[in-house]
Amino acid sequence: MTFDFIEPVVFALLSIGVIAGGVAVVMLNRITAAALLMAFTFLCMAGMFVLLGAETIAAFQVLIYVGAITVLILYGVMFTKFSDSPRALFFQKQTPLAAIFVAAVAVPIVVVGTLSFTGAPPRAGGGDLPALATSVFTDFAFPFEIASVLLLAAMVGAIVLTRRDDPDEAAMRRRR
Amino acid sequence: MTVPLGAYIAVSAVLFFTGCAGVLVRRNAVVILMCVELMLNAANLALVAFSRKYGSIDERGSVFVVFVFVIAAAEVAVGLGIILSAYRNRPVVDVDEIHQMKG
Amino acid sequence: MISLVWLIPAFPLAAFLVNGLFGRRRLGHMTGLIATGAVGVSALLSIGVFLEVVGGKTQTVVSLYRWIAVGDFSVNVSALIDPLSSVMLLVVTVVSFLIFVYSNGYMAHDAGFYRFFTWLSLFVFAMLILVMADNYLLMFVGWEGVGLCSYLLIGFWFERPEPYYAAKKAFVMNRIGDWGYTIGIITIFLVFGSMNFLDVFKRLEESAPAQATLTLICIALFFGATGKSAQLPLYSWLPDAMEGPTPVSALIHAATMVTSGVYLVARSMPLFEVAGPSLQVVGVVGAITAIFAATIALVQFDIKRVMAYSTVSQLGYMFLALGVGAPVAAIFHLATHAFFKALLFLGSGSVIHGLGGEQDMRKMGGLRRKMPVTFWTMLIAGGALAALPPLAGFWSKDEILGAAFANGHLVLYAVGILTAVLTAFYVTRALWMTFYGEPRDHHLYDHAHESPRVMTLPLIALAAGSAVLGIVIGFPPEQGFIHSFLAPVVEAGGVAEHVPELATIVALAIVSILAGVIGIAVGFSMYVRHRPDPAALTRATGPVYRILVNKYYVDELYDHRFVEAARAVAGASWAFDIHIIDGLANRLGWALAMGGQGLRRVQTGIVGNYALTIVAGLLLMLVAYGGYAAGILGR
Repeated sequence: MTFDFIEPVVFALLSIGVIAGGVAVVMLNRITAAALLMAFTFLCMAGMFVLLGAETIAAFQVLIYVGAITVLILYGVMFTKFSDSPRALFFQKQTPLAAIFVAAVAVPIVVVGTLSFTGAPPRAGGGDLPALATSVFTDFAFPFEIASVLLLAAMVGAIVLTRRDDPDEAAMRRRR
Repeated sequence: MTVPLGAYIAVSAVLFFTGCAGVLVRRNAVVILMCVELMLNAANLALVAFSRKYGSIDERGSVFVVFVFVIAAAEVAVGLGIILSAYRNRPVVDVDEIHQMKG
Repeated sequence: MISLVWLIPAFPLAAFLVNGLFGRRRLGHMTGLIATGAVGVSALLSIGVFLEVVGGKTQTVVSLYRWIAVGDFSVNVSALIDPLSSVMLLVVTVVSFLIFVYSNGYMAHDAGFYRFFTWLSLFVFAMLILVMADNYLLMFVGWEGVGLCSYLLIGFWFERPEPYYAAKKAFVMNRIGDWGYTIGIITIFLVFGSMNFLDVFKRLEESAPAQATLTLICIALFFGATGKSAQLPLYSWLPDAMEGPTPVSALIHAATMVTSGVYLVARSMPLFEVAGPSLQVVGVVGAITAIFAATIALVQFDIKRVMAYSTVSQLGYMFLALGVGAPVAAIFHLATHAFFKALLFLGSGSVIHGLGGEQDMRKMGGLRRKMPVTFWTMLIAGGALAALPPLAGFWSKDEILGAAFANGHLVLYAVGILTAVLTAFYVTRALWMTFYGEPRDHHLYDHAHESPRVMTLPLIALAAGSAVLGIVIGFPPEQGFIHSFLAPVVEAGGVAEHVPELATIVALAIVSILAGVIGIAVGFSMYVRHRPDPAALTRATGPVYRILVNKYYVDELYDHRFVEAARAVAGASWAFDIHIIDGLANRLGWALAMGGQGLRRVQTGIVGNYALTIVAGLLLMLVAYGGYAAGILGR
């Protein structure tokens, strides 16, 4: 009994998870549920990375997305309260129009994309950490440094944006 | 029997456009941010799939993915900062209600 | 002296400049002296030139400078001095001088004294240019110049509206005529390659251009002449021009400017003689105008109006003369008419001045006792106008009628005789109403006084001219001095004017005298013995009288036809400008603003909309790419 059938099955399950999670994020009213289902999507995504043989990437995915970003989002959910307008429309006014446009764009791309790429199976092995690390720190050292600067800027920016005004400083600013 | 590349692309595309629809459709700013993350993920998936299928050296694809991670993280942080500071001004998170830039 | 001929217009020009630039500050009356002196010098120079031409220099061209030289087209500022132009020079300068002297007195109390002499000097300058020019273009400069000065001087008292309207009317009608003149000279250039008189006449002999073209030229030039010389259809400006000061009426609208049309045709006789029916047209128009104007003069009450219509009528006689092939007679009459008509006008001015501004003859009467010099000089002038021998008018008018008869134009002759009767009648009427009978307005009568010597001396001088000029230059008929003098110039070999025999001449003369006498007799009978009574006759001929008094309603006709039409066109143009052109500009602006307003609505301020726009753009790109790939868009 060959276990060749395992890969497509796993792929199918994972893809269902991914897509279901995505749809849930878009459609669910309760934000917390949406946030957690987003995390689920990220996990399934990590699984797909593994299926493709990029374990390092999968690890990063879990670390960054499931770990940091989900937490950030949850913090955001926690600090903001969605206004209880009696209309309780969770969807924007432009929804119908948006749906049409997106469908119009999505369908051709999906169809064309699927049909265009048939073929070669993924390589076995490869995608491992040493090669990736060497590449980042030698060939792509410059973007790497820039990325650090970017992170620094983001940090500073986030701090400045969310800083509460010091009352004395605000008064001084107003007097000037 | 292996999964063809097209399948991965299909998944990636579907996820991407789902996220795109979410950005255009949802009112809550935080939810919009979540959908943006979905889109970034879909892009990552496509990148990895291509790099594994076509790349003779697939480090370059992976490096790109790493940088996408970095940027996604930075963007979420700053985005939430914006949302929170706007929320402090007026306690509204409804995107449709923020239209001071009208005209 | 002929080489100095350019000094003749130079002096009035200098007077114009001096008076114009400094006249306001120099206290009044020096300007009058300067201007009069300048014209006086010109008159003396003209006499000198005339004597030299008589002495034998029958055709001299004195060039001043090269004016235009463009390719084939070259025109110089040069003067042609021949018998015709020297006669004109003499008439213009001498009569102008006398009128200038007179004006020193007439305009003495006017606030615009210096301005008057400025324009008058400019006028003399322009008129001299007109007369001296050796080509059509330079003549046109003078032509336009006199038109301008006419406008300036008619509208001299511009504080009142009537002079302004009259000036405008005169200028516009002149301009309409000028259109004809322009067509004429342009065609002359196209056909003959030059605008120079001598060149044109020489080439006319060498190559005979098409009859139709020549007729066109002559009719066009004549149309210009009708404008300047107040013939039908462009005559109605002249009576209105009486709004100007009387010396202006005398100089411009009797002696000089209005004769420039006659001069033009006389100068262009070689063209007219070979251009088919153009001479006939000239003659007929002249005759019709003569009798037409005379009928209107019968019933006018303003003494200057009577004289104005009389001028139109006498100009008609001159054109009649040209038309029947007697250009010498036309110039002869031009000269005599200048004297006696100027005198009539100046005398009227003296009367008006003596009555403190009154022009209505119905308020005059019995003035001969109070203004004797004026009276006697006017009497002489009136006799000349009525063509009584031996006064000057008789010789010239009789010659015109004689030529008409002798060359077979019997209808025109009859018209001329009839007009002579009417002329004699209305002049008698005018003189009677002014100088004889009981004064109708005693207040005016009591204050009437004779004019000062500076005004009466010119009257006397002109009276002397009116009396003897005819005999001096025109006797015996057809063989006098003026005939031999002018004939070579104007009768260019074409028309062989046959000298009628003595019997015919005498017979015609008697008929002319008879016509005059009949007219005077009727006038006498009506106004002295009231048989028939003028008032009764007026009532009896009701509608006819009204037509005459209203000048055949020509002004109303013109106003209705042409002025209203012009106004309609102007109104339409204005509407077009406002609604369509401005409207276009306004609509454009409005459209842009609306466009902006519309485009503005894209900026909803809602971020989601902007994101949607991005997706829409993506859709567009997809469509474009698909089209490109399918080969529909681009290659």
